[in-house]
Amino acid sequence: MNMSVDLCGVKLKNPLIAASGTFGFGREYDELYDISCWGGISVKGLTNEPRTGNPPHRIAETSSGILNSVGLQNPGVDAFIREELPWLSRMGVVVIANVAGATTDDYTEAVRKLSDSPVDIIELNISCPNVKEGGVHFGICPKSVSKVTGAVRKRCLKPLMVKLSPNVSDIASVARAAEDAGADAISLINTITGMAIDARTRRPILANITGGLSGPAIKPVALRMTWQASKAVAVPVVGMGGIDTGSDAAEFLIAGARAVMIGTANITDPTAGPRIRAELENFMSENGVDDANELVGSLRTD
Amino acid sequence: MKSAARDIVSRVISNERIADRIHDIRFALHSAAEPPLPGQFAHVSVPGVFLRRPISIAGFDPASRIARLIVRVAGRGTDILSHMKTGDETRMTMPLGNPYPIRELTGGEIPDIWLVGGGIGAAPLLYAADYISRLAGGRAGIKTFLGFRDAAAAFGASEFEAYGETSLDVGGFVTDALTESLGKKIPDAILACGPAPMLSSLQKICARSGVRAYASLEERMGCGVGACLVCNCGISKDAGDEVSYKRVCRDGPVFPLPEVVFK
Repeated sequence: MNMSVDLCGVKLKNPLIAASGTFGFGREYDELYDISCWGGISVKGLTNEPRTGNPPHRIAETSSGILNSVGLQNPGVDAFIREELPWLSRMGVVVIANVAGATTDDYTEAVRKLSDSPVDIIELNISCPNVKEGGVHFGICPKSVSKVTGAVRKRCLKPLMVKLSPNVSDIASVARAAEDAGADAISLINTITGMAIDARTRRPILANITGGLSGPAIKPVALRMTWQASKAVAVPVVGMGGIDTGSDAAEFLIAGARAVMIGTANITDPTAGPRIRAELENFMSENGVDDANELVGSLRTD
Repeated sequence: MKSAARDIVSRVISNERIADRIHDIRFALHSAAEPPLPGQFAHVSVPGVFLRRPISIAGFDPASRIARLIVRVAGRGTDILSHMKTGDETRMTMPLGNPYPIRELTGGEIPDIWLVGGGIGAAPLLYAADYISRLAGGRAGIKTFLGFRDAAAAFGASEFEAYGETSLDVGGFVTDALTESLGKKIPDAILACGPAPMLSSLQKICARSGVRAYASLEERMGCGVGACLVCNCGISKDAGDEVSYKRVCRDGPVFPLPEVVFK
């Protein structure tokens, strides 16, 4: 049975990638199990300068999900390259550097540094507020997606994967804009903007007031957008959003994804990585699938 | 420090309501766990709610692999947990977190450690009392100060009495009795757990008396292992230093009390 897939010329031993923000730089989960069971790891979003993140509370529980507003707390690109990457690059997983920024220059500078490092792929997190455009996020429309992707493409010497925000009116046009501006791959979806209120205190639960919804609650939206984006572009698509089982992962491949990312599941089940991998292998053997690539884009609508 | 936590299937062997909204639940762990230290917690999967619930470990017997968790019903998850019956199974990741530095405090001599607990904060201190007592060969006199909002909510006082003088304050401020005792003697260290206003008061008292103190904090958690960064709290090494964010689940839940930044 073949589990390996190709993503922009990078070989992943299996289509499962730990999603950015839920896995740190891999060290904590490596204490619980051998993280080389993953095909790849997308690290915590990196910014040019270190960021302390938002004040507490940064999490609210929802039905079948969570809202988070961590605020991109991270040690900065330089510290990542110096202190985390040497260890992570020896762990037998494809390393995807997730990059965030508040201005286009932030992104291009971070990407310039990472292009000169041993990371395998750079993932552009464009769900960040653009401070020069009044805080509207970079990923909100085809025009701004095209602008930031184009600027980064010029500096990016690694395969470039653009991570799309679902908080848009037409995911297909945003996906096409990223592809036309030079993306080698698309990943989606990032979190859906949401809110939680404490009725007794009449205050929002999150210090930031709004946050990003993730977990099984968003899977139907994520699947739909993965399907729509896969039909709109020729570059590989990596799907994510509420994957909790091997069968969930298969659904995203069937919808058109070449690989998947698993995030919130790690939070509710610390051994989600090895479990979902085993479940996907079982799914394949039970359904006569010899090669994971057979599932990709195999949705039947006839 | 490398964590030895494991995700373990466990089975409820008893569940006793010991005070208003307070349940003392014993779980038998199905596989070996690293024995927890006082101040560490278990991240417990609760059927019917999405996130796990972090519960301080109130006791642990390595021979029988039985973990004691004292749960306060604060919301849906703890409500469901408090209704778990003998034979019910669930998973928990444990032991997690940075414990009270008891071994470092004892260092060969019998220490004079005082415990200050507010409400459910008494739970991890029960384990601390047991552990300190065993380390000192049963010869430690451990002074405990407990505070509860009302008599119906009070628990644990008779257990702490077995380890040493225990003062119980109901409806007032646990720190009043403590201040009086500090006027007579300064202990080697104070270990505390309780609501933020209590810890904030305690911080000022300890600064005035020059007592070493450690507090166990709580914050809404995600992964519980230190990867997702949602449970951060403000910590400042020195007054005037910039506030940095530390993970309550991994850098804590125990922090040196002078370093905690209270809102």
